[in-house]
Amino acid sequence: MPNPKLQLVEAPVAGASDRSVINTRSISKIFSLPEGPVTALRDVNITVSKGDFVSFVGPSGCGKSTLLNIIAGLLPPTSGTAELYGEAITSPSRRMGFMFQTAVLLPWRTVEGNVLLPAEVYGMDPKAVRDKARSVIEAVGLKDFIKAYPKQLSGGMQQRVALARVLTYEPEILLMDEPFGALDEFTREAMNLELMRITQSAGITCIFVTHNITEAVFLSDKVVVMTPRPGKVSGVVDVTLPRPREIETMKDPAFADLIFEVRNLLGRHI
Amino acid sequence: MKHVDQWTDNTTQRRQDWYFRLGAIGIGIAILALWEVLPLTGLVNPIILPPFSKVAVALFTLMQQPFFPGHLAVTFNEIIIGFIIGTLLGLGIGIALAVWPSAKRLAYPFVVGFQAIPKIVFAPLFIAWFGFGQTSKIVMAVVIAFFPVLINTMVGLESVPSDARKLMRSLKATPLQIFWKVSFLHALPIIFAGVQAAFTFAVIGAIVGEFVGSQEGLGYLLNLYNFQLRIDRAFAVIVILATIGAAGFFLLEWADRKFIFWRERS
Repeated sequence: MPNPKLQLVEAPVAGASDRSVINTRSISKIFSLPEGPVTALRDVNITVSKGDFVSFVGPSGCGKSTLLNIIAGLLPPTSGTAELYGEAITSPSRRMGFMFQTAVLLPWRTVEGNVLLPAEVYGMDPKAVRDKARSVIEAVGLKDFIKAYPKQLSGGMQQRVALARVLTYEPEILLMDEPFGALDEFTREAMNLELMRITQSAGITCIFVTHNITEAVFLSDKVVVMTPRPGKVSGVVDVTLPRPREIETMKDPAFADLIFEVRNLLGRHI
Repeated sequence: MKHVDQWTDNTTQRRQDWYFRLGAIGIGIAILALWEVLPLTGLVNPIILPPFSKVAVALFTLMQQPFFPGHLAVTFNEIIIGFIIGTLLGLGIGIALAVWPSAKRLAYPFVVGFQAIPKIVFAPLFIAWFGFGQTSKIVMAVVIAFFPVLINTMVGLESVPSDARKLMRSLKATPLQIFWKVSFLHALPIIFAGVQAAFTFAVIGAIVGEFVGSQEGLGYLLNLYNFQLRIDRAFAVIVILATIGAAGFFLLEWADRKFIFWRERS
């Protein structure tokens, strides 16, 4: 049964529209380990369009984090190129913000100090960023914790600080590596709704790595399904559910169909 | 965020703390009482172990002797200078080895080998090289004191979480920015534990140096009183040295709590 929603990735990227922000052109990554070379990614071609929310979903070892790191400019591909607006990515860019599975906060800095860290690294005057930082900290719901230290915050609140740290610098693209994977189910759901609200209203292009299919479908415009050994894209699912989405969206029969579609693409790899 | 569990709430916890504190004071008093009584009963020869009260008197009179401040100052200087040089040396070498991998690979066998040597064996050598004055004692203090700082600096700098480095790389931070804004501060709690050990070691180094060959200092006095069998005064010197060691330790402990406020404490 041919599925009209399924776009094979082997479709020519050359035809990608002007809206494309990130393209990967037959990216492969081989890690040389003492046990021998390991192919983490083989011939990956994907396109991310402006304002889209794209998830990379797949089991451990499918190379989804490796791909994200390559796009972030933190890891060079073995062959192929990742492009940002048509230019090869060779190092991190201020147009892209990166979020980790843990908040990665500096324990000796307050919430505000942590949010201002990139300003110092960028050589900006922290005073010039302070107002912006405060309004973003308020927007993520930490108004009363501006002067608090990380150890005084819960895991969810720490991850909000990490979100504020990245959003303060108005990235065009937000790269997230299982950002809420370490949080409990309830906090994760709340964070997902908030993330969607903020990135939608700011028109930020998002790439989101996760192994949670429900989360991927709920958040995304496009779900890139990846399978391991070697890591490759087995298909892309377009999520046409209307926005804004709420928890009720999950009751939609189309939502369940999409989850099964992703599952089918994962095949017997899980 | 108070941690409350159903078995030991705060009041019980505080009461237990007090019991233990009282218990410790009780044990201390018992030891002093035993020290006082044993020599009087004749079970222990009072020449070998003078009663506590005699030691207290000896301490009081010793501190009033005109020669005493000079000896105290000599040893105090040796400890402080040895501690500062040792700490800076350990910090410098530790940083160099941690940030420069080939230096570490070259130097590490020597570091490990040097660590295995009981450094006290160098004391007679340092007297031969640097004379009977303060220099040989300071060198001894430095040689013993710099080691814990060196090791802890290396361990601390190498334990920086890779995600923190990656965050800085994603911001295009320079190696210097990564070092000062992340690595060094991350390593500081571990480095400071080494600095605390360094102080105790500097005291040992200075005293051992004085034992082996000197004409002044508290170690010299202790040795002298020992030979003269004035054990009460020998104990008095020990009390003074113990006070210096404890004072330094608690001062550093206080500094640690004040400046390294983010340290995880159990």
